[in-house]
Amino acid sequence: MASNEEMTTYKNLDAAPELDQRTLNQMAWRSCFLQASFNYERMQAAGWLYSILPGLEKIHTDKDDLATSMTHNMEFFNIHPFLVTFAMGLILSMEQKKVDIPTIRAVRVSLMGPLGGIGDALFWMTLVPITAGICSNMAISGNVFGPILFLVIFNIVQFVLRFGLMNWSYKMGMSALDYLMEHMAAFTRAASILGVFVVGCLTVTMGGTQINAVIPNGTTQAYVAHTATVPTDDVKGFEVISKADDGTTLSGMVDATGNPLVTADADGNKVAAGAVDLGNGMSEVTYFTTTTNPVTIDVATILDSICPKLVPLSIVMLLFYLFSKKNFTPMKGIALVLVIGILGAGPFGLWPSIWG
Amino acid sequence: MQYSIIQVILVFVVTFIAAIDQFSFLESLYQPLVMGMVIGLILGDLTTGLIVGGTYQLMTIGNMPIGGAQPPNAVVGGIMATVLAISLGLEPNIAVATAIPFSLLGQYGVTLIFTLMSPLMSKADQFSADANPQGIERINYLSMTLLGLIFGAVVTLFFIGGATMGDAVVKAIPTWLSDGLSAAGGMMRFVGFAILLKFMMNRDMWGFYFMGFGLALIVSGISTLATPALLILALIGFGIAYWDYQQQTKLKGAAIDSDGGEEDGI
Repeated sequence: MASNEEMTTYKNLDAAPELDQRTLNQMAWRSCFLQASFNYERMQAAGWLYSILPGLEKIHTDKDDLATSMTHNMEFFNIHPFLVTFAMGLILSMEQKKVDIPTIRAVRVSLMGPLGGIGDALFWMTLVPITAGICSNMAISGNVFGPILFLVIFNIVQFVLRFGLMNWSYKMGMSALDYLMEHMAAFTRAASILGVFVVGCLTVTMGGTQINAVIPNGTTQAYVAHTATVPTDDVKGFEVISKADDGTTLSGMVDATGNPLVTADADGNKVAAGAVDLGNGMSEVTYFTTTTNPVTIDVATILDSICPKLVPLSIVMLLFYLFSKKNFTPMKGIALVLVIGILGAGPFGLWPSIWG
Repeated sequence: MQYSIIQVILVFVVTFIAAIDQFSFLESLYQPLVMGMVIGLILGDLTTGLIVGGTYQLMTIGNMPIGGAQPPNAVVGGIMATVLAISLGLEPNIAVATAIPFSLLGQYGVTLIFTLMSPLMSKADQFSADANPQGIERINYLSMTLLGLIFGAVVTLFFIGGATMGDAVVKAIPTWLSDGLSAAGGMMRFVGFAILLKFMMNRDMWGFYFMGFGLALIVSGISTLATPALLILALIGFGIAYWDYQQQTKLKGAAIDSDGGEEDGI
């Protein structure tokens, strides 16, 4: 473990008495406020702790143990808000059996992965589109029961899930733990593997930071072909319209030695300059002009060609180094990230934003 | 159209509740479908409220907070669309479009609040270290109140100030500040990740972190797997962890029986 002061076991290792139904219900109700203090650093951590507090207070009668438990439950947490009670039940069963803290943490982190995807699929992609779709059409035709029906259906599903999952997962946790605790060390290790694996996945799926800077890298010059129909007598005037100091033709039909200019069009086909006599005293001339194209280096493309999500990975690694080796506090980490964000955006327009 | 002080207060109260409800509580009251009806009732035109709310709701269906992303804010958008439709007599579709700058402003406000709320967490850490449940409760209640007050005040100002105000406010914020804050907001989760890693990581575990990182890159590169991505990844991770568990229990037990001992892998 990286930190010296960190507790890995509770002082009182006797399993606490089972939580009563009233406490479980109280916590299921509190889980509605999981995102009360949502923020970008810990996300739902403080709301999570708020939700499980009634249980923790019953389980940890020793004040030091309560402090230890509250502290590790204040770590980063983010889960689907409607399925959170599933995680609550499991974690509370582990807290109650006084499982060692790295194991509880590993299970809590592991739960962040799968439940998010299931919850999104269940709520935002199925329940809400269907019920809100039907109910919106009722409302548009002036039916006041549209919104009411939506509220009733949505909340029945929500509360059945919240209370049902809470009870089910708590009881499941209690029975599964008896078996798992026979091989506690192996279980802790397996849970940690899954936890670390999930953090690796989250670095990709939740890491949206990208450096979108475009660096100018000089210019290229290219001929662009134009055609015009002019009196044959005027064709001579199109041979060299303008030239650079070294004699290179900037626009016209022939180069410095008198040979026709050749270029390629957008499709890569060869285009030669020259004049075609149309026979009626007019000629169709194909002459070139020079355009200057800026060349840019797209930093995002280069970074992605090395490895996508390189920026999120680098920042996580940097912060990990600062937290574990330099004793950075979370507060300092946040300040650092704020400074990087503002500096990168080019404060007061001093330089272009790198965030794109 | 002039509104009475009671209507202004009611709009404030409704916005206060909706702002909290968009993340906590029932997480359904805030939907434009419901807000349209409520605001319609307050402003005395229920039918228009229902129609605008329904129209706005249909627009947001493709714009859900999937994977924790912040879509244009439906609370500010839904309420303002209804207000504009009733006070200016706009067509529902036009009212919904006119409300979009407001919803973007609401989205920006949410990003700002989520960013500025982060330092509050060190206070929560302190309450935890002191085993002070009341402190944690107060932080949550305080955060909700702040969110409600900010939203309530802003929407009430727009309600009084009218349609031009949304654009004006959006333009008054320097781009570098909003860009910088939202970039910082996007990076703050890395602080949380790094702290988790600090606690969970030891020499044996780095491989599993990078394995998760690599597999997530592959799965998230496949657009058809966007929604179940994390579930698929969790299945793979579970497979690896379960295999390791078997190695450490049954198989190791067998190894000990045969050659009489092996280093514990923890």
